[in-house]
Amino acid sequence: MNNSQDSIEALDMEQKLSLTAIRQFLKSKTSYDVLPVSFRLIVLDTSLLVKKALNVLLQNNIVSAPLWDAKTSRFAGLLTSDDFINVIQYYFSNPDKFDLVDKLQLGGLRDIERAIGAVPLDTESIHPSRPLYEACVMMLNSRSRRIPLIDQDEETSREIVVSVLTQYRILKFIALNCRETHFLKKPISELNIIAKGNLRSCQMSTPVIDVIQLLSQGNVSSIPIVDDDGRLINVYEAVDVLGLIKGGIYNDLSLSVGEALMRRSDDFEGVYTCTEHDKLSTLLDTTRKSSVHRFFVVDQSGKLEGVLSLGDILRYILLGEN
Amino acid sequence: MPDSNIPQKDVSMTDFEDAIASNTNSITQSLSQMNIDGPNELEPQTLTKHKSTLIFDDDDEIPPYSNHEEHANDLVSDSGDENDSTSHLQNGSHQNSTIVSQPQQQQQQQQNHQPAQQQPAGQPSSQPQQRNTVMVPVDITWQQGGEKVYVTGSFTGWRKMIGLVPVPGQPGVLHVKLQLPPGTHKFRFIVDNELRFSDFLPTATDQMGNFVNYLEAVAPPQTWTDEQQQQEQPQDLQTQQLLNQQQVQHAQQPQVQQPQVKESQVANDNQQDITRPESTTNKKSKKMPTSARSRIAFEIEQEPDDMGDGFTRFREEKPLKPQLEYTQDIPAVFTDPTVMEQYYLTLDQQQNNHQNLSWLTPPQLPPHLENVILNSYSSNSPETGQNNSGSLPIPNHVVLNHLATSSIKHNTLCVASIVRYKRKYVTQILYAPLQ
Repeated sequence: MNNSQDSIEALDMEQKLSLTAIRQFLKSKTSYDVLPVSFRLIVLDTSLLVKKALNVLLQNNIVSAPLWDAKTSRFAGLLTSDDFINVIQYYFSNPDKFDLVDKLQLGGLRDIERAIGAVPLDTESIHPSRPLYEACVMMLNSRSRRIPLIDQDEETSREIVVSVLTQYRILKFIALNCRETHFLKKPISELNIIAKGNLRSCQMSTPVIDVIQLLSQGNVSSIPIVDDDGRLINVYEAVDVLGLIKGGIYNDLSLSVGEALMRRSDDFEGVYTCTEHDKLSTLLDTTRKSSVHRFFVVDQSGKLEGVLSLGDILRYILLGEN
Repeated sequence: MPDSNIPQKDVSMTDFEDAIASNTNSITQSLSQMNIDGPNELEPQTLTKHKSTLIFDDDDEIPPYSNHEEHANDLVSDSGDENDSTSHLQNGSHQNSTIVSQPQQQQQQQQNHQPAQQQPAGQPSSQPQQRNTVMVPVDITWQQGGEKVYVTGSFTGWRKMIGLVPVPGQPGVLHVKLQLPPGTHKFRFIVDNELRFSDFLPTATDQMGNFVNYLEAVAPPQTWTDEQQQQEQPQDLQTQQLLNQQQVQHAQQPQVQQPQVKESQVANDNQQDITRPESTTNKKSKKMPTSARSRIAFEIEQEPDDMGDGFTRFREEKPLKPQLEYTQDIPAVFTDPTVMEQYYLTLDQQQNNHQNLSWLTPPQLPPHLENVILNSYSSNSPETGQNNSGSLPIPNHVVLNHLATSSIKHNTLCVASIVRYKRKYVTQILYAPLQ
């Protein structure tokens, strides 16, 4: 008995020390430090039509892009899947406004936001030479789950959009480059980070528009799809709406979510699950190897118990165990 | 990727020997150099005093040269790389690990100790094939302790490990000198069997997301000339000569020098120094390095027209320029496509007799701009999943600050430009509608 208690304490201590070391690492590096030596950044002009912007995102295999206002020469926020969800919801409740939606420019997205009463996205940004830790904390508090890196040109004192950091990118970076992640051996059930109660889920036959509504109501990035017994069978992600309205066609909103998923591209990464007994080290290892965006916590029979988002993991790594 | 490729400790020693075998020239050369110039290198404090003029070890040898201070400032502000390496030097005195890329100094030392190595004395220029293979000496230092320290990186294909040797008198400091081809090199250290990166060197993530150190090896400009010739010259002249070279080299323009010209040039330069009226001339000659002859011509131009005794300079009569009219309105030829077309059609008729519509085809792209890194980037590549940071190959510097465009599709214009952001490169792609 005594022995096992000792080992639990040792586990605890190890976990805390590892977290401290990871935080120290994130504080010692800046966002600039972790950028590749050469990288690309896709920026969209705010006068671009929303449907064209959608094509650009799909062509480039990205789900978000910073916006640039050419009139003021300023950074104008991020375009994310949330914006497309807003447009879908707006069009669904105002079917007579197709012309408006069809001719909508990116700059007009804020009007749509206001019209449907959605919470506007934060346009917060951070300077690339601030510590990475600071950028991560800001990212946690942003609804878009990403943080743009903005600098100012020395000569013209205009803004420069340098890059955008996402939660996944940061977690993958930590998993790849912090050996200490191997020592995060406490089971995740003990970390108090799994979202369990009031979990929003849907079934294959649920209309996709209802699922989209669930996404925006809960401000979540995905809705799990379960069968009659509550077993997890698939997931509808916020980024899936990009494929749904591909080409600016809004005819598919009456589909069921199961039918809508047929439009998903073949290189879909899949749904990642874990159990309560898994360790954070295992989850981070999975994050390192594949592009995971959340873990669904299931029991032995595959029944959905909870969800562990990347934000939850990052929040724990940055601020947990204090 | 490096994780899996890096061999374990047992094989490291043989690997090191392999590395020597494969790079016999470079490593043995660097090892031999190390003994010779080692002490000099390892005392960065002495170097920090005069930033730009690494060549001048002795203040006394420098003649009172009004321009000197200014020149130093200029160098610091002009070339970012120099600036960085000097700031590293300063860091070095605080026990940080540094990479000192000292092409100039090294190059000279090579000339001293191994005259036959790269650029045989007497034929300093006009050997392009040699220039292509020029290696840049780079000093890689690890200052964060450890017994056995190796460096591995893109320059060894991440397979071979090169051992670092302790710096005498500085515990925990190890270094190695390598000859690397110009360009950007990524590397990590293996410290007592553990893969690490230095906290004191620039860092970045590679295509796979691994955190690595990197450095940019900059090829030195080819300006060195017959060493012996210099040594035969009187001391002050030699210094003067070095100063000149420093200037010219600083402006990054290869200077072709022939021995017989040199004497006169030096003399001329001396004279120039004396007669130089004020610093504006200095600046001019510094900014645009000229050959000896054109410099003389330049000097003559500067002299007053009235030469005394009734002589004045002969000047060709300038043709009367037609009266030009300035306006703020943009002529229609630039704004209205139909007018523009008419204008070019008329031009064509006048000049080419309508034979070829050459104005319709854009001029050919210079070959170095053909290699666009965006074209080699495929978003559908299997690595996309890994490459979530949009990592691109390192661009060739000649493509920087150019505007690339794609053809206009669906009324959307896509332009891209690669710019330096601090010591990294951002390729920004902007999508905008045609108004």
